[in-house]
Amino acid sequence: MRLTAVITAFALGLAAPCQAGVKEAVEGYVLPATGAFAGAAEALAEEARGNCLPGAGMVAAYDEAFDAWLQIAHLRFGPLEVDGRVNAIAFWPDKKGFTPRMLAGLIADADPIVDQPDEFHELSVAARGFFALERLLYDPQFAGYGEADYTCRLVQAISADLARMAAEIDSDWRTEAAPLLMSAGAPGNSTYLSQGEATRVLYTALLTGLEFNADQRLGRPLGTFERPRPARAEARRSGRSLRNVEASMLGLRALARSLMAPEAMPVTEAGFADVLDHIAALQDPVLAGVEDPSGRLKVEILQQRIRAVQVDVQGEIGAHFGLTAGFNSADGD
Amino acid sequence: MTTRRAFLAAMAASALTPRLSWADAGSPAFLACAREPSGQHALFGIDFLGHDVFRVPLPGRGHAGAAHPVAPEAVGFARRPGTFALVIDCARGEVLHRLESPEGRHFMGHGTFLKGGDILATLENDYITARGKIGLWARSEGYRRVGEIETHGIGPHEALLMPDGSLAVANGGIRTDPRVDDGRGKLNLPEMKPSLAYVSPEGALLDQVFLDPELHLNSIRHLARGADGLIGFAMQWQGDAMDAPPLLGLHRRGWSAAKLAEAPLGEQLAMQGYAGSVALSGDGQYFGITSPRGGRLHVFDREARFVTSHHRPDICGLAAGPEGFLATDGLGGVWHATATEFQPFTRAERAWDNHVVTL
Repeated sequence: MRLTAVITAFALGLAAPCQAGVKEAVEGYVLPATGAFAGAAEALAEEARGNCLPGAGMVAAYDEAFDAWLQIAHLRFGPLEVDGRVNAIAFWPDKKGFTPRMLAGLIADADPIVDQPDEFHELSVAARGFFALERLLYDPQFAGYGEADYTCRLVQAISADLARMAAEIDSDWRTEAAPLLMSAGAPGNSTYLSQGEATRVLYTALLTGLEFNADQRLGRPLGTFERPRPARAEARRSGRSLRNVEASMLGLRALARSLMAPEAMPVTEAGFADVLDHIAALQDPVLAGVEDPSGRLKVEILQQRIRAVQVDVQGEIGAHFGLTAGFNSADGD
Repeated sequence: MTTRRAFLAAMAASALTPRLSWADAGSPAFLACAREPSGQHALFGIDFLGHDVFRVPLPGRGHAGAAHPVAPEAVGFARRPGTFALVIDCARGEVLHRLESPEGRHFMGHGTFLKGGDILATLENDYITARGKIGLWARSEGYRRVGEIETHGIGPHEALLMPDGSLAVANGGIRTDPRVDDGRGKLNLPEMKPSLAYVSPEGALLDQVFLDPELHLNSIRHLARGADGLIGFAMQWQGDAMDAPPLLGLHRRGWSAAKLAEAPLGEQLAMQGYAGSVALSGDGQYFGITSPRGGRLHVFDREARFVTSHHRPDICGLAAGPEGFLATDGLGGVWHATATEFQPFTRAERAWDNHVVTL
């Protein structure tokens, strides 16, 4: 059925010129970013095949792939949502401690699934992706493995699974999602029933991504003033908590710019610049400072600045396209 | 000049004139509220393929409606904590009656007809005592309030008529008070204890099921029912959405506990801890729940096993269709959904509100 929809979209899509921002966002931002992620994830898998140990090579490849993922992680529709890919790539927060438990179980059983790449995707999302890999590479409970150990094969299998998903996302974007977005509103396009819906889905991804950075990436470690939760910082084992916010903000800025193109967005630009300045000045890579009052204040200020960008985006980009929050998602009962 | 004979003939003829039926309102298959681009709210009747059959303007945002089983009358309820409900003649597009909740009460947005349509039952919050009530209104007396019964819980949201004439009630468990935060503040989360209660028309508690203590933050809000009495209830999690709690429960009277339905973890997380509507498919084989926040329609079978996930931003309204489901969204889309298919019927420039009611 999906194939039929795509073919119809291709055939009829040319009849309806898509909105400028959508075409620019897809061609100028999304496809280069999904291509870069596919390349970085493949490089990670190659590195793991060559030397699975948690040395400089794996660390660099891991960081590059994670950075590339964060350029598109907020595109939570279409290809990222197929087969639960978003969570299989980045399962966080892991509130119930699934990831270490499942990894320990696989290792204890020397589960042969690591040698069955065609079946690896059937594993729970908690045992896959960047956060499973982070445990194996950085957590002392797992990281002491040797080349001959089961864990080495598990690192290779998780990396290969990531590379497979990244390649599929890139391919799905090029062959399905991009044509669908650019033929929004055309007869036969049963995903985007109007041109406005294509703009909306990108705009929603932008706002949701900003919200995730403020509420989750910063909000979880902040906890409450009485009870800060530094151990809840995302990717703290790999020292990436703040870097993840930065990489995500860069990806979101690229999305915002392309969506508005060729129009400028001076207010939103200033908001992003302000956030990136605060990140550069923070010097707290794993947000450990949330435990002391002055460090906490800096993280709170960063959180407020990100929320200010949400307001900027609504006022500038939302207003430009005449978009407001979803009627039901914003206000249900 | 009217003769006595002519007068009597006219009287007889008017007595024989059939009462209006839903056919006089264009035979809609579903009712749903929507907000139009101008900001105007309206109640729509739509047919099996999602086309408009009638439109009646509403004075404010509605929530759900109750449809009379025979006469083309719908009751539109104001959103919680609204104090009015409108009885609408869908054939003529007129408001027939305006119901006001009694002092110290407000409506909860849902209601249903009992006793073949003679009695309208309205879900109410008695916010002085924080007890759930069902108001009973007699249609034959111009919708006069004729009584009320207990829901045996706090914060009742929806009730359904059971095959035996009793009521299944979703007691959401959340205490609210219109005098606090416009009625949207949640005043008892640490102690909330939602339930599904089965209540006789006289108000006797026949059966009641609670969730396990670790799920006590899961507000039981909406209901769907199979012909055999199997209930599907949809929940809204008041904790962290990342807890990915189950959002659909199945229950049949007499079961000591509900069967909870969950999708695989990634899909469950995508629902954002929120189900906005629940329905049983037209063939009775599947329960569906929607999450506008997650842009998902999840389909489960009658054994609570996950079947599929359909994706659509801001999807919320869900009702049984002739096959499968009819779904609506905040972007103006009306959708046909089954265990395998998801296709648009129609799209209009309006934002469909939370619910669709099957006639």
